[in-house]
Amino acid sequence: MNFGELFWALQILIGIGLLVSAIAAVRFKNLIAAVISMAVFSLILSLEFYVLQAPDVAIAEAGVGACLTTAMYLLAIKNTTDEEVIE
Amino acid sequence: MTAISVFMWALVLLLFSAMLTLIRLLLGPTIPDRAVALDSMTTTTAGAMVIYGVITKQAVFIDVALVYAVLSYIATLYIARYLVKKKVGIA
Repeated sequence: MNFGELFWALQILIGIGLLVSAIAAVRFKNLIAAVISMAVFSLILSLEFYVLQAPDVAIAEAGVGACLTTAMYLLAIKNTTDEEVIE
Repeated sequence: MTAISVFMWALVLLLFSAMLTLIRLLLGPTIPDRAVALDSMTTTTAGAMVIYGVITKQAVFIDVALVYAVLSYIATLYIARYLVKKKVGIA
């Protein structure tokens, strides 16, 4: 396996993961499950930036997506009262 | 088969196992199942990032894996605090 084959294999896996996690984040009824799917989407998007040789953008995406977005969404869900679907 | 080729196969297998944990995240009946799936997926992907840094021979790429490991720990901690407080009823 040379580097070009590895690059295209990574692109296929990352594309499948992005599509699946984005559809899951939209269609989950439970709010916490949707937030976790958003965290997975951010993880795979950071991996895409990483594979495309941009490690600084990947660091920014990891910091914002993994830590800030998840924590702030969870604080917002905790401080509001909504009809949450418990499975 | 050179050493770099072995690293490339290991990288593809790690990402494939990350996709298998994504299946658990989709099917998981309860929220703690999904939280554990997210945690194992971030750990697997951090290992894949380190192996990609070894393949391309650039030391800058290791830092991204370190930063992501620390930040995913904080995200998992927030999810766990939310679940504990909701179940016990402290807040």
